[in-house]
Amino acid sequence: MQELRRIVGDAHVLVEDADVIVYEQDGSILQAMPEIVVLPADVTQVSEVIRAARRAGFPIVPRGSGTGLAGGAVPAGGGVVVSLARLNRLLGVDYRNRTAELEPGVINLEVTKGVAKAGFFYAPDPSSQAACSIGGNLANNSGGPHTLAYGVTTNHALGVEVVLHDGSIVWLGGTVPDVPGYDLCGVFVGSEGTLGIVTRAIVRLMRAREDVRTLLAIFDSMDSATQAVVDITAAGIVPAALEMMDKTTIEAVERGAPAGYPRDAEAVLLLEVEGVREYTERALRMAHEVCTRAGARQVRAARDEQERQALWKGRKGAFGALGTLAPNYYVMDGVVPRSKLPQTMRAVAEIAEQYQVRIANVFHAGDGNLHPNILFDIRVPGALDRVIEAGAAILRACVAVGGSLTGEHGIGLEKRDYMEWLFSKDDLEAMTRVRLAFDPQRAFNPGKIFPTPVSCGEVRRAPARIPEGLWI
Amino acid sequence: MSVASDQLIDRLTSELGTDSVITDRATLEAHAVDGLVPRAVCSPGDAAQVAAAIRVCGEAGAAIAPRGGGTAVALGNVPHRVDVVLRTDRLAALVEHDDANLTATMEAGMTLAHLQTHLAQRGQLLPLDPPRPDRATIGGIVAASTNGARRMFYGGVRDLVIGMKMVLPGGEQVKAGGKVVKNVAGYDMCKLFVGSLGTLGIITEVTCKMTPLPERALTIIARDGGSTAEGSGAFRLIDALFASTLQPSAIAVLSPRAGELVRAGGPGVATAVAVEGFTEAVDRHVRDITGMAAAAGLSAEVLEGPAHERLWAAVADFPRSREGEALVRLTVPPGAVATAVDALSRVDDSPVYVAHAGAGTIWIGVEAARAATVFAALTSVAGAQHGHAVLASAPPEVKRGLDVWGSPPPALSIMREIKQRFDPQQLLNPGRFVAFL
Repeated sequence: MQELRRIVGDAHVLVEDADVIVYEQDGSILQAMPEIVVLPADVTQVSEVIRAARRAGFPIVPRGSGTGLAGGAVPAGGGVVVSLARLNRLLGVDYRNRTAELEPGVINLEVTKGVAKAGFFYAPDPSSQAACSIGGNLANNSGGPHTLAYGVTTNHALGVEVVLHDGSIVWLGGTVPDVPGYDLCGVFVGSEGTLGIVTRAIVRLMRAREDVRTLLAIFDSMDSATQAVVDITAAGIVPAALEMMDKTTIEAVERGAPAGYPRDAEAVLLLEVEGVREYTERALRMAHEVCTRAGARQVRAARDEQERQALWKGRKGAFGALGTLAPNYYVMDGVVPRSKLPQTMRAVAEIAEQYQVRIANVFHAGDGNLHPNILFDIRVPGALDRVIEAGAAILRACVAVGGSLTGEHGIGLEKRDYMEWLFSKDDLEAMTRVRLAFDPQRAFNPGKIFPTPVSCGEVRRAPARIPEGLWI
Repeated sequence: MSVASDQLIDRLTSELGTDSVITDRATLEAHAVDGLVPRAVCSPGDAAQVAAAIRVCGEAGAAIAPRGGGTAVALGNVPHRVDVVLRTDRLAALVEHDDANLTATMEAGMTLAHLQTHLAQRGQLLPLDPPRPDRATIGGIVAASTNGARRMFYGGVRDLVIGMKMVLPGGEQVKAGGKVVKNVAGYDMCKLFVGSLGTLGIITEVTCKMTPLPERALTIIARDGGSTAEGSGAFRLIDALFASTLQPSAIAVLSPRAGELVRAGGPGVATAVAVEGFTEAVDRHVRDITGMAAAAGLSAEVLEGPAHERLWAAVADFPRSREGEALVRLTVPPGAVATAVDALSRVDDSPVYVAHAGAGTIWIGVEAARAATVFAALTSVAGAQHGHAVLASAPPEVKRGLDVWGSPPPALSIMREIKQRFDPQQLLNPGRFVAFL
């Protein structure tokens, strides 16, 4: 402790319960109290903190903004939580080469805000982008609604500077792709803080598109809505975003933050295309036809930016509005091949019935990335357990059709015991080799990702306090 | 140490069958890697046989060189040893094309051309452009991470691969990723294997994202007629393109001599811009890019149909190894391609290069006799732009004196540790990868 204080200064080492309680939880329902929270200011301090923590035998739990939804930043085994919030400088922007160099604590949305005037944007846009950090995005390989056309975080990360378990500082990747050797930047992104701590990153910027068009299609059945998604993909349209909301979500939106969605509709589909004007006009026309053919009751295209914002308003307000239906909700993050969307949505509906839970679906349909939100009231005894069982059943259904446990939220603590549904012992053993090559003592974020027979006695469950204004 | 050849061959034969283990002189010599002739060439028929072959080699301490179509066999350092060449040619089936999901799963030995033929019937394609697609296999393209000019628009191999199956040096059959386009369950093991050049395991199956066949595709080719200094007109055009909101799918700058090689005709530096997509969007690009070319002092011509296809096939084919020649791959930030090309002309009087200007990759053909000198000079050129240079192909006698991958990467110790944990016996392509891993 004294050493940590010497490294970062008294003010940046927290140990009192009242101080560290803020760091006991992320956006998931899992909680565990950290022993110590440290807030280093630069890479040298991060390195020294890690050395000191390891000398004392403490595990290290890296933390960005704490918006993660799988318990990845929850210190399940105690130890030192290293917050990267103070490493928050945008170090440089190179428009000619379309890259930005930044520290991990930079907030995602700040990147695009910083480069928008010059006609650029940073593509990965997790719905928590107003609060989540680039370091957290790198750790979780975060996605977002617009990653359908542009790819997730790993497709935009060229290089990362990381601090390893022994405090050494090393670059993985670089300022250009194809750096000779194994693609360790690619391996590191999405490793959920189990391999080291990012202290600097070089990410790609994209040129803003000439035109954006948005349409909203209203369906009388979930089946025709999901069929429209399959048909849009098959027709060769690659939308920038393709989002879906079901009847329960529509009800919540119209109660909470009305967006003019018809309350009797079974599903609404929000589609956005970006590119040169000639492309967007044609793609929008085609999407309109596909939706109509699939049985859309009505298709509305935004005529201007104001109408576009109005169409998005419901989607962005959806998660917040769920509070009008139930005090708590549990966000799932399954993903399936897009061809299996219709049958998977039917399976989700059956699971809701079987487990007697209410589910609001709002998700990235174009990627096949489901977000079934299971609504509940934590004060009802046994409710949370039933919700977790229903969630597990949904993920099993995703895996059964060739899908995955998580599209963008990560495994963390929440789903580590489900990993064996997807991976064999040998598959996991191969991952472990990578883990140990970076971190032979499992100093970083122990108990995450990998299934573990030992249950963490210190982990508690409680609903997350998702800050105002965030959407998922 | 290793057991006698006879015993190794007997055991491979008993696992794979007589027809799948070949030991005649001509075949062995045709499968030499940098002049090292293997003792056996085997072609397992499925992943289980790949695992069996690896186990046999492991017990015998025999080094394996995995091989797809052999189009990237010149890439990498001269291996320490080559005992067995393990071909994937019998793993050539299309496992699944889920066209509504825009994904396909192929066995590793399927050639790209074969896959494209199938996909085209369903209105899709895999947007990768390696040399010799008639021979290049999916597994080989992934293992060597062979990227082409369309990377700027569609992404590279690492972006398009979403799942894989591989056999590890201990014979374990494992998988990575899956068939969903978004997946963060566990480590992204696909990234580890893309570009690992068969040094960690043998890839037996790959799942990739597909893309719809474009409604229309054509090329605007702009030439300076030899009137400007080395490529300056070309880079004025490219600057204008980058400043615009246009979205070409590929940009290639061809030096005069490369232009002859790829039959892009005409004197001087040529800039080829490929545009793909909906007809009206393509037409818009033609109008705008033709105007930009004129403003840059270039004459522009539109190539369509077979002429367009021939040009890009030749551009893709440019980085194939040629007898008596060496090939350097220079990677720099896209905005530094002009500077790098300019520096090239100081290294070589009349350089032969094809620059994928949108991706920042420049392929340079060099006479074998000058390869080591030119590679050293180009390494400095790349370094000055925070990029890197790789001697992608050269005769073994040139390669022996250097590390074709350039100076060791900063994270070499982790790479060494990974190699050690996956392949402690040094069975797979020993010595061929960075820093002779």
